Amino acid sequence: MMPVGGQRWEMLERIGTYAAGELEGEEARQVEQLIFERPEYGHLAESYARMLVWLSTLGSEPVEAPEAVVGYAIRRAYISAFMRSAEVFVSALGRSYIDAFVYYLGLRRERHGGGT
Amino acid sequence: MSSVSDQAFAIRASRGDLEAFRKLVQEHSGLVYRVALRILGAEDAQDASQEIWIRVWRNIKNFRGDSAFSTWLYRITVNTCLSVRRKESRRGEREFSGEEMTFLPEPRDNDADPEAAALGAEQREQIQAALGYVRAEHRAALVLRHMEGLSYAEIAQILGVPDGTAKGWVSRGRAAMLVALSEEDHGSRGTVE
Repeated sequence: MMPVGGQRWEMLERIGTYAAGELEGEEARQVEQLIFERPEYGHLAESYARMLVWLSTLGSEPVEAPEAVVGYAIRRAYISAFMRSAEVFVSALGRSYIDAFVYYLGLRRERHGGGT
Repeated sequence: MSSVSDQAFAIRASRGDLEAFRKLVQEHSGLVYRVALRILGAEDAQDASQEIWIRVWRNIKNFRGDSAFSTWLYRITVNTCLSVRRKESRRGEREFSGEEMTFLPEPRDNDADPEAAALGAEQREQIQAALGYVRAEHRAALVLRHMEGLSYAEIAQILGVPDGTAKGWVSRGRAAMLVALSEEDHGSRGTVE
């Protein structure tokens, strides 16, 4: 058991950074010195190394998405594209009807040609 | 699919090409599901993956190819997962008090050799459970770094934070994960900062 309150937490992170191979130069040497002097820090670094191997092993395993996810995503995109086209079609049709109605009622002012 | 053809398919999909979008979904559904699984756990991963692809389709018209498609996809994936987490009740979460910690148990024979580090079902469950106790942002950073193998620059771009913040989140996530793993046999826990 090892207390990790306050500064201990900082040390916990530092040893983790070292175990991940992300410390260089003087910083790395300082941590190596601590590990050499304090066996519990060495133990901590080993725990980190083991955990990082687990994470990377799990991360490198192939994971396939359930078929339902793939099918759903594609279906939704097709439906959304269809709805978009339908919306464009219906709004164009509506505009044409309104234009025809306006023309039928004679509400539209005739535009005179803009010749000089 | 190479990143070049990814870009090409993404550009075509951004113009409404459904066939190109279908190819992107088929090619990258594993990535999306995998990241959702690690960040959210098995229970929520499927629903989140479906939500992610809806968001991708809705936003792909804004994809201009300025960044790699995979980076853009990671960003939507992680943001969606984090927003799912934010919606959840924060009941049971607590700050990490850091009184004591135990180390991971001594390795069994096969654990000692990283080459033979095939994970058993129990370890898998432990890792997934421990991830659940790490704060969501830190967990996302940890997953991207140590499970997806991304650089800090990529992580920073995906999370929309400076490089230094990304490094800090990974570091905190790593420490919190170790604490959570070592406490596996202890009683109830909250979110570890």
